[in-house]
Amino acid sequence: MGLGLLASRALRPAASRLLRYPPRHGLARAIGSTPERQSPEASAAQAQPDPAPELPPRKPVAGARVHLPNPEDAIEVFVDGYPVKIPKGMTVLQACEVAGVDIPRFCYHNRLSIAGNCRMCLVEVEKSPKPVASCAMPALPGMKIKTDTPIAKKAREGVMEFLLMNHPLDCPICDQGGECDLQDQSMAFGSDRGRFTEVKRSVVDKNLGPLVKTVMTRCIQCTRCVRFATEIAGVQDLGVLGRGSGEEIGTYVEKLMTSELSGNVIDICPVGALTSKPFAFKARNWELKGTETIDVTDAVGSNIRIDSRGPEVLRILPRLNEDINEEWISDKTRFCYDGLKRQRLNDPMIRGADGRFQAVSWHDALAMVGEVIHKVGPEEIVGVAGKLSDAESMMALKDFLNRMGSNNVMCEGNGKHPNADLRSGYIMNTGIAGLEKADVFLLVGTQPRVEAAMVNARIRKTVRATHAKVGYIGPPTDSNYDHEHLGTGPQTLTELAEGRHPFCSTLKNAKNPAIIVGAGLFEREDSDAIFSAIETIAKNGNVVRPDWNGYNVLLLHAAQAAALDLGLVPQSPDSIKSAKFVYLMGADDINLKDIPDDAFVVYQGHHGDQSVYRANVILPASAFSEKEGTYENTEGCIQQTLPAVPTVGDARDDWKIVRALSEVAGVQLPYDSVGGIRSRIWTVAPNLVSVDEREPTTFSTTTMRPNTNQKISPNDFGMAVENFYMTDAITRASKIMAQCSAMLLKK
Amino acid sequence: MLARLAAKRLHEIRHVFRQSPQVSRSLSTALNYHIDSPDNNPDLPWEFSDANKSKVKEIMSHYPSNYKQSAVIPLLDLAQQQHGGWLPVSAMNAVAKVIEVAPIRVFEVATFYSMFNRTKVGKYHLLVCGTTPCMIRGSREIESALLKHLGVKRNEVTKDGLFSVGEMECMGCCVNAPMITVADYSNGSEGYTYNYYEDVTPERVVEIVELLRRGEKLPPGTQNPKRTKCGPEGGNTTLLSEPKPPLCRDLDAC
Amino acid sequence: MAAILRGALKGIKEKGLGNFLRDLKEEGYLKCLADGNLLQTKLHNIGATLVGVDKFGNKYYERLGETQHGRHRWVEYAEKGRYNASQVPAEWHGWLHHITDHTGDELLMLKPKRYGAEHRENLSGEGEAYIYHSKGHALNPGQRDWTRYKSWEPAKTDSQ
Repeated sequence: MGLGLLASRALRPAASRLLRYPPRHGLARAIGSTPERQSPEASAAQAQPDPAPELPPRKPVAGARVHLPNPEDAIEVFVDGYPVKIPKGMTVLQACEVAGVDIPRFCYHNRLSIAGNCRMCLVEVEKSPKPVASCAMPALPGMKIKTDTPIAKKAREGVMEFLLMNHPLDCPICDQGGECDLQDQSMAFGSDRGRFTEVKRSVVDKNLGPLVKTVMTRCIQCTRCVRFATEIAGVQDLGVLGRGSGEEIGTYVEKLMTSELSGNVIDICPVGALTSKPFAFKARNWELKGTETIDVTDAVGSNIRIDSRGPEVLRILPRLNEDINEEWISDKTRFCYDGLKRQRLNDPMIRGADGRFQAVSWHDALAMVGEVIHKVGPEEIVGVAGKLSDAESMMALKDFLNRMGSNNVMCEGNGKHPNADLRSGYIMNTGIAGLEKADVFLLVGTQPRVEAAMVNARIRKTVRATHAKVGYIGPPTDSNYDHEHLGTGPQTLTELAEGRHPFCSTLKNAKNPAIIVGAGLFEREDSDAIFSAIETIAKNGNVVRPDWNGYNVLLLHAAQAAALDLGLVPQSPDSIKSAKFVYLMGADDINLKDIPDDAFVVYQGHHGDQSVYRANVILPASAFSEKEGTYENTEGCIQQTLPAVPTVGDARDDWKIVRALSEVAGVQLPYDSVGGIRSRIWTVAPNLVSVDEREPTTFSTTTMRPNTNQKISPNDFGMAVENFYMTDAITRASKIMAQCSAMLLKK
Repeated sequence: MLARLAAKRLHEIRHVFRQSPQVSRSLSTALNYHIDSPDNNPDLPWEFSDANKSKVKEIMSHYPSNYKQSAVIPLLDLAQQQHGGWLPVSAMNAVAKVIEVAPIRVFEVATFYSMFNRTKVGKYHLLVCGTTPCMIRGSREIESALLKHLGVKRNEVTKDGLFSVGEMECMGCCVNAPMITVADYSNGSEGYTYNYYEDVTPERVVEIVELLRRGEKLPPGTQNPKRTKCGPEGGNTTLLSEPKPPLCRDLDAC
Repeated sequence: MAAILRGALKGIKEKGLGNFLRDLKEEGYLKCLADGNLLQTKLHNIGATLVGVDKFGNKYYERLGETQHGRHRWVEYAEKGRYNASQVPAEWHGWLHHITDHTGDELLMLKPKRYGAEHRENLSGEGEAYIYHSKGHALNPGQRDWTRYKSWEPAKTDSQ
C-alpha cells in the first residue's frame, strides 16, 4: 500500500463529505472532531438519507477482480452507499476493494489464511452494534458497509494507538522506513499523539539464519510470517509464543528458517521486524531505482524488480505475476545479487606463452580469435551456450558458427541428443498456473523444491487446497508436501509403463493427471528410451487430451527452452571431444576434461567461474542485470530482462561481441541492433518475439516422437541440483549464497 | 557530614531510578524461548511411562482421528504430572509426536497457558491467588510470608527441591479469600493432587508448609476452624427458621 | 543597579583594582559590550541560583518564581568567545533540557564506570581536520574509486 494511495484516499472523502453533510459541520468534521464520535447513533442517523444516485464511479483497488461463476450466487452490498455485486462468500474487505475503497490492514493478506487479529480493518456495518473486522466478516446480501464514518475512523485510530503503544520509535534506524505499512497507515489513520506513558516492552531478537534479520521489538504480532511459513513455505518452525503483552513470534528452540522461500517473509512483514540481513543499513528505498525485469537463476523466470543505486544492484524484489511466481520469489533469486559484484570479468584477456593472462584491448583479443578460428577445420569448431544465455546471443552464436561452416552449437544442460523438433517435448505444457487444476502429480526424476522453487510452491498450493496425490520417482528427498515415493529409478518407470504398478490406477482414475519430468534426465545416455517410457505412461493414463495436456518437462536453466526453440542442437554428439576451437559463451558447467588439450578455448562470460581457467582468450560480457535479453521460461513464456545497472569495465553485451567477432573473422552477420537480431529470431522461432506471451504447443508428444531402439539402463535417477543455493556462475560467486549453503544445507 | 548527605541523596536517586519489581509481572514461570541446559534440551530422551501410555490412549480416544491435535492440553498436563511438575522441551516434543503436529504448535500452547511450567518447580508447587478479592484480604502478605519462610524468590525452587511459590489468577474461591493452592507432584501422575487451602493467614501458610514437609496429610478447604466450607463464621445468621410456604392467593375470592 | 555597584565596589576593595579588572575580563564582562547574547545571560544571572558547575567550567543557573516556565534553566558557557550548545556534557544535558530534575552532579554519581566516552564538543568547521570532504573531493584522495564490483584476479590462478 503506497503512501500516495493512502494520501489520495485520505483526501478524497473529504471532498465528498462536504457535499453530503450539512455545511455547518463541514469544517469541524474535517479536523476529526468529537461531537459525532460521541454520539454515533446521531451521526448514523444523519448519514442514512444519503443521496445514492449521483455518485461518481469508483475503480476497484489494485486491480481487484470480480469473477462471477454463476450469476445466481451474486449478492449485492452497499459500500458507502455504492451498490456492488460480488459473489457469495467474499469478505467485507474484499467487497470494499471491489467497490474501490482500500481498507487499512496489517494481518490480512490475500494469499494467506485469515487471522483477524490486528483489528485495523474495522468498518461500520449498519445494524451491527459494534464495528466489525472486515477481513474476517463474510459479506451478506444487502449489507450496508460504511468505511469513513466517525465510528470507523475512531476505531482505526484506537487500534493504531494500541499498535503503536509497544512499537519502538525506531523509524530513523529501521530498514523498513519509507516502505512500512505501520508508518504509512499511522500517517493516514492514526492519531497525532498517544496516551501511553509506561515502559515499552522489549523482545529478544531471534536468529533465523543468514537471510532474515529480526528486530522482534518492532513486531506487531500480525502473524503473517507464521502463516506464510506454515501455509506457503511448508516449514512449521515459526509460531506465536506466550500471551498478552508478552506475546512474541519465535521458534522456541533455536532454529534457522530452512526454507527456500524464507526471503518472502521480509516482504510480507508490515513493519520492520523481519528485514533483509544482506540489505541491512545499505540504502533507503527512496534512493533506489527500480527496474522491472526477470530472474534467470532458474528456468521459472520469476518476475522481479531490481533495485539499484548508481552502478550497484542493492536488492531484488518480486513482482506480481499470477501465471508464474504469484508474488513470491525464491531465496536464490532474491539474494544472488551480491554475486553480480564479485569475480567479474572486466577486460578482454589473452593467455600468454607463460600461461599468464594479460589484459588486452578488444581489438587485439578479437583479432587473435579471428585469426585462430580460420586455422582450424569447420567441423572442429564447437560452440557451447551457457545456462544464462539470452536468445539473442544464442542466435548470434549459431549464425556465426554456421557461417564458419560448423553446425556444432549446443546449450549446456540439454544433453547429447536433445529433441528440439517437438516443442511439447521440452516445455511445461500445462503451464505453471495450470498445475493448480491437476489432481494427481507424477514427478519423474525431478525435485522441484530445489530445481524450481516457485513451481514447487504451486504444487504445494494445489496439494494443500485439493489434496492432490503426488507420486515421486527419484532419489529420496525431503519435500514439503505429502508424497508417495514410488521408486528410485527407471525400474519403477517401466513398471508404470507396463501397468504393473499400483500407482497406475491412481493415474488412470485422475481427472487431470500431470506428469512432471525433470530436465536432469536429458543428460542421461538413455534419455530417449526413458522419455518414450514416460510417453507410454502418459498415453495409458490419458494425460494428453484435447482439453488437458498434463505432460510437462521441468527445465533447469533459463537458456534451455530458447536454445531448443532456436535449434541449438549439435550435429555430432561427441563433437567437443575432437574439437580444436571451442567457443564457450558463459558455459561453466560443461565437463572441461572433455576438451582436448590442444584445443583453443574462447570464454565469453561475466564471471571468472570455472571455465576461465581453461580459456585461452577471455571476452568479458554483461550479466542479466546489465543487458536487454529475451528468455523463455520452462512453460514457454517469453520474457525480457531490462538493464538495471551499467556494465562493468569493458564488458559488452553477448550478441554484440559475437557480431564484432564475425566482422573480424570476415563473415559479417547482417544485424547491428537488437531489433535486427530479433527479426532474425522471428524467422527461426517466431514465438520468441512475442514478449510476455505463452505460445501453447500444437502437437502432443505421444504420437509424433520417432521410435527409439535404446535400452533403459538400470541406473537410478540422480539429483539434478545438488546445492539449491549455488547453481550458476552468479550464485557461485555470491557470498550470501555461500553462507546459505554452509548454514542451511548442513544436515 | 557531606559524605553522609551525598550517600543519602544517592540512595534517593537510586530509589527513583530503580524499577519496581512488580512493574512487569509475568505469570509464567519461564521465558518465551528455550535456552538449552543440561536438564532441559531437545536431545534428552523423554517418553510417557507405561502406566501413562494407556492414559494417553484413553485421552486420544476422546477425539476423532482427524483432530488428534485437540488432545494437546490433556497430554501436556499428563506429561507435566509425570515429569515432576514441569515440561522440558523433550516432553513437549514427545507430545507433538503423539498428536502428529509440528513441535512448534505444542510450544505455542505450552507457552500460552501459565499453568504449564517450563522451568523446574518444587515437589509442592504453592500457588497464591493474587486477584482482587484475595489481594484485598491480604494475599500479598501471604506470599511474602511464604517467600520469607522458604527463603526463595517467586518461581524459585528451594534448595531441597521441595517447594516453589508462584502466583495465580482467580481460582474461584473468592468467598473464602485469601487462598493458596498446593500442586503436589511428589508422587508422579498417580498420586497427583491439586488442593485448595482457603481462609489462610500468614501464620497458617507457614504451618501448612511445615506439615507438607513432614509429609502429613491435611484436609483441604477452609483453614478457619469456625467455618464449615463456605458458610459464615459461627454458623448461619440468616434463613434460620423453617422457610414459609409461598403465599397463595385466595382463588375462591375472585 | 545600586546593589551591583555596591558589589563591584566591594570587589575592588577586596582584590584591588588590577585584580578586579582582570576578573572582569576573565568572566567575560568586557565581551558583553559586543555580544548581546552574553550580556543577556549576565543580566539573567542576577538573582538566579547557581545549581552547579561542570568539569569544563560551564555554570548552570536556575531561577524559579517569576521566570516564565521553560526558560527557568540556562547555562553560562565557560568559553566566552566561541560557545555552542555541544559544550554541555551529557550529564548536564538532561537537566538543562528539562528531561530530568537530577542535576549533572547527581547523575555523575550514577554513571557506570565500564562505558561512556569522555564528552567532547563538536568541532565541525574548526580547521581542516574537522571538515568532511565528500568522496572524490580533491582533499579526500582515499575515496576516489567508484567501482562497485570486484574483478576476477587471474594472477593467483594461472595453472593450466
